[in-house]
Amino acid sequence: MLSGLLRRFTGQKPSKDTAKKRLQFSLIYDKLELNDTTLTDLQKDIVAVISNYFEIDKDSLELKVKRDDNVSALVFNTPILHVKRKRA
Amino acid sequence: MEGKVIVVTSGKGGVGKTTATSSIGAALALEGKRVAIVDMDIGLRNLDVVMGLENRIVFNIVDVVQGKCKISQAAIRDRRIENLFLIPASQSDNKDVLTTSGVERVARQLRKEFDYVIMDSPAGIEKGFENSIVGANEALVICTPDVSAVRDADRVIGLLYSRSLNPKLIVNRIEPARVERGEMLSHEDVLEVLSIDLAGLVPMDEHVLIASNTGTPLVLQNESKAGHAFKRIARRLNGEADLPIEVPTHKTGLWRKLSKTLGLKR
Repeated sequence: MLSGLLRRFTGQKPSKDTAKKRLQFSLIYDKLELNDTTLTDLQKDIVAVISNYFEIDKDSLELKVKRDDNVSALVFNTPILHVKRKRA
Repeated sequence: MEGKVIVVTSGKGGVGKTTATSSIGAALALEGKRVAIVDMDIGLRNLDVVMGLENRIVFNIVDVVQGKCKISQAAIRDRRIENLFLIPASQSDNKDVLTTSGVERVARQLRKEFDYVIMDSPAGIEKGFENSIVGANEALVICTPDVSAVRDADRVIGLLYSRSLNPKLIVNRIEPARVERGEMLSHEDVLEVLSIDLAGLVPMDEHVLIASNTGTPLVLQNESKAGHAFKRIARRLNGEADLPIEVPTHKTGLWRKLSKTLGLKR
């Protein structure tokens, strides 16, 4: 139809394509949304594992889920105080 | 043999749950089955007015669950369609008045007395939703082709899966002309996003509002495209699993033919 013709000349994408893309992203993000208990438990586990190898500053560590346009990442930041010597 | 309990739900409100529930229920009754439609939207009842039975309410589902009356006393018989019954919601209580165990018990009783029990769930995912799905063996999720309805449908589908229900989707209010212009998500788009089985496709239809204005069953109006679609959904639910799903279309105009030949359609 006319609108299709117009779109072809202006190179505009149909709005439903935008809707679909936005939906697909938001549904993924919705499922990635972690509740606070999960995040605290995860942090505890990570600290326990890292503490086997490093002495870390447990007060200034930080666990975050970072979201970008295309990727989601789990970011764990911690200052290392000492490297633990491996026991035999 | 025991009947089936089917919950009709959507997450988002205003997508056509009540219309779908009443139409599918009526269509199943037209197929010769004994059908009870239960309005689970406690405090905000609507099925009674949509079905034109609002003047005949004596007892409601809350009374049944609380043991104040028998199922047969609360079930209003539709005089136009044989074997169709409505158990209305109560208008004065709030949603917490029902317990899941109570609803489950009544659902089991209903299965013994009816071939199909259709539960019209309230919008949302709170207690009222939980109560609607607790006794269900099958689930239908309704959504319209817009971002908010699809997103809410996804959430509800997840919740149904976690209760071991395997829902099927009805895409409602499809406007074929707008789908063709790329202004509206197609049913293929919706299915791709939600990855779920389809129960049926229902076009936008002016008859829906008119039928609800007068409280007459949509499925008795032969000109209604939505009514026709709901009848086919009911037949598929009722054993005709292979009945093809019709995709809503609009009249083919000269422009459409022309632009199709010229490859302007996407």
